[in-house]
Amino acid sequence: MSQFTSVQVPKAETLAIQLSAPNQLKLTGTITQKDPSNDLAGFFKALHNAALADRLSEVRADVSALTFVNSSAIRLFVDWATWLKNERGERYTLLFITSRNVTWQKTSFMALMSLAKEVLKIEIVS
Amino acid sequence: MESSETQPESKKMALAPLVFMRFRPAWAYIDGIREFCRFFCQTTFGTPELADRACVVIQESLENAVKYSSKSVDSELELSISSNGSDIEFSVSSLPDAEHLSSLRDELNGLQSLDPEQAYLAAFVRASNEPDASARLGLARIRYEGGVELSMSEEAGGRVRITAAGKL
Repeated sequence: MSQFTSVQVPKAETLAIQLSAPNQLKLTGTITQKDPSNDLAGFFKALHNAALADRLSEVRADVSALTFVNSSAIRLFVDWATWLKNERGERYTLLFITSRNVTWQKTSFMALMSLAKEVLKIEIVS
Repeated sequence: MESSETQPESKKMALAPLVFMRFRPAWAYIDGIREFCRFFCQTTFGTPELADRACVVIQESLENAVKYSSKSVDSELELSISSNGSDIEFSVSSLPDAEHLSSLRDELNGLQSLDPEQAYLAAFVRASNEPDASARLGLARIRYEGGVELSMSEEAGGRVRITAAGKL
């Protein structure tokens, strides 16, 4: 049984979160609360651990409909990329599906790529 | 005719005030104010790209101001947007606690020693290397994604004004 799709999805006020088999996460909405790590840091960490346990080769994180986030939310993606980069054993590739129409994604995922290009991929959709 | 960019400071057209708001430093107001400023910039200047830049500047500068405001009754925030048709300026005035003031000065000085893109990348590296520290990505993000330069002035009564100035 997939551990990845069994991870409990948190409820967040302005954000819809969908997990689908075998390896897809989709985030829709905005993240601007004061400390988004309260809702999301544990969730992302659980997805990371589950992806390792499932021996996934890739996790697809579709953020193309995540229209605005604050820098505390960007920090959560930095943390996820850092856990993966620091993983010494078998690891997966984290593919972010981004939108060319959402301004914050162009700048922030470019910066994220420069941080951990060995474990990240970016796909840009319209 | 000289462009505004090449004119000496004294010849630049004065910025006209377009928006002024004064409100208590509450997190609950930030989303509404950001979206008003998006609407205002989109409607006034007709460019979605500027509206997106404005959102980043407003969100991150108000978050900082709200987080670090003193508990004093005089701690209302002031937000203004001004333009002269070629330049735009966002300004947030707040009354921060004294401890935050020196770290804000240091952070701004550190940022200005790098170009905006380098400073944003450096902030990502720092965040990655310091997983338990606060993110401190906000000011670097304002400069790079907002396409503005930041300055800080200290005013009477301990108030601090952060100004983000850029091209339309």
